[in-house]
Amino acid sequence: MFKFDVLAEDFIGILMVVPKTLLLAILILFLSTLLGGVIALIQQYRIPVVAQIVKVFTSFLRGTPAVVLLYLMYYALPQIAHLLLKIVGIEFNPHDLNPVVVVIVTFSLTMSAFQSEIIRGAFMSVSEGQIEAAHSLGYNFLQTLSRVIMPQALMEALPDFLNSYMVIIKALSLAFLITVVDIFAQAKIMGAMSFRYLEAFVAAALIYWLISAILTALINRYELRLRKAY
Amino acid sequence: MLTLKNLRVAFGEHEVLKGIDITVQKGEVVTFIGPSGTGKTTLLRSINYLEKPSDGEVKLSDVGINFKSANKKDILKLRRKTAMVFQQFNLFKHKTVIENVMDAQIAIQKKSKKEAYEKSCEELEKVGLLEKKDMYPSRLSGGQQQRVSIARALALEPEVILFDEPTSALDPELVGEVLKVIENVARSGMTILLVTHEMRFAKNISSKVVFMDQGHIVEQGTPEEIFEKSTHIRTRQFLKEYYETEEELAVANV
Ligand SMILES: Nc1ncnc2c1ncn2[C@@H]1O[C@H](COP(=O)(O)OP(=O)(O)OP(=O)(O)O)[C@@H](O)[C@H]1O
Ligand SMILES: [Mg+2]
Repeated sequence: MFKFDVLAEDFIGILMVVPKTLLLAILILFLSTLLGGVIALIQQYRIPVVAQIVKVFTSFLRGTPAVVLLYLMYYALPQIAHLLLKIVGIEFNPHDLNPVVVVIVTFSLTMSAFQSEIIRGAFMSVSEGQIEAAHSLGYNFLQTLSRVIMPQALMEALPDFLNSYMVIIKALSLAFLITVVDIFAQAKIMGAMSFRYLEAFVAAALIYWLISAILTALINRYELRLRKAY
Repeated sequence: MLTLKNLRVAFGEHEVLKGIDITVQKGEVVTFIGPSGTGKTTLLRSINYLEKPSDGEVKLSDVGINFKSANKKDILKLRRKTAMVFQQFNLFKHKTVIENVMDAQIAIQKKSKKEAYEKSCEELEKVGLLEKKDMYPSRLSGGQQQRVSIARALALEPEVILFDEPTSALDPELVGEVLKVIENVARSGMTILLVTHEMRFAKNISSKVVFMDQGHIVEQGTPEEIFEKSTHIRTRQFLKEYYETEEELAVANV
């Protein structure tokens, strides 16, 4: 029989890790956006060699399942960190690398490819005419960027960024594979403790759904306001 | 006051302006006419440095630039003394009407918000759109948007204002209101360079008309000299074709 009191207990238990999951996702969103911005710039200005490398890099990220990348990084990243730190003269034991770092690095990388597309699209949405108008009025490069391009690009990208945020939260359910405890991992643990997996996973599903519903409502309200504005 | 010497612009191999010389006095209204693809737009854009000329010089009051050796500072100086009004208005769509007019005053002229606001109200009043000041451009008709863009340009008190077919993108019934505003600008003593296909308007408003063809200035003179007494074959041919299509359109519209 399905037990609602267990469900409630699991629900509360999982809620405990929600802040941590949301925070982790924010950090990943931030880093992947930063990296995505750099990628978009490199592609926009077609910087030789670097642009080609980035192209291969993003195609690899897009074409590989996140699980595989996560395992790959789990085994590769400690070694890489060890090597890099050795160059600057710091001794680092590969086994000391916190798996949370692996999660952050992996998902920041995978998401950066998508973020760069969003950023590129957002910048393209600002019409060339407005940029010319700014130049003709005497705005310099930075003024044009900060007063005309950025505000519009941001407005355009924000709903997509919120969507990316949701994607990251869901993708983090893979983190349990390398021992990082997020919403899904917590559900597994709680299920194992009570031997009642169904309630635990129902609780987890409900929490994901709740978060997503709140985010979607936010996006919708924002887009509505945007459409009203202009 | 504005002098261009041997202005040349090329797009790749294709030379579009082949040495333009022209002098414009303060307060003059100079209209450029000529066939499509002749380089009229390119000429105005060069004065605003939206195109990069390959050769030539421009002098505008105390700013003199040799296009071969223009640096960033020169370009900004030139742009701050000239204002361009585009065919497509090009208002900043994330800013309200008054913000559109205020922004450059704050960013470039370093005016206080209050000063910029007052100046903007003044300019919007002149184009008859003060009551729309808090709307976003998308809420305005094309004619209204163009009038805002004129206010935005004038608010910076440029020495020259450049109009590139300011009414070409408008529905016919909206052309009049914009021409009226341009006429007022001309009356205020502003120096104007205008590209237009509105020949009747050009005839009435211009102190000088310049006929261009294939990257050259063919002739220039008073509206009367160009529109009625021109002896140049190409000018007459252009005007004849223009009036013929005009008549055809008129007939078609009846
Ligand atoms: N960015 C560009 N790149 C390449 N060629 C261009 C560019 N801009 C203009 N041209 C070419 O330069 C020539 C002059 O164009 P311009 O727009 O100045 O003509 P125009 O006299 O304004 O014509 P219209 O009456 O049709 O507006 C045309 O042949 C055009 O194809
Ligand atoms: Mg043109």
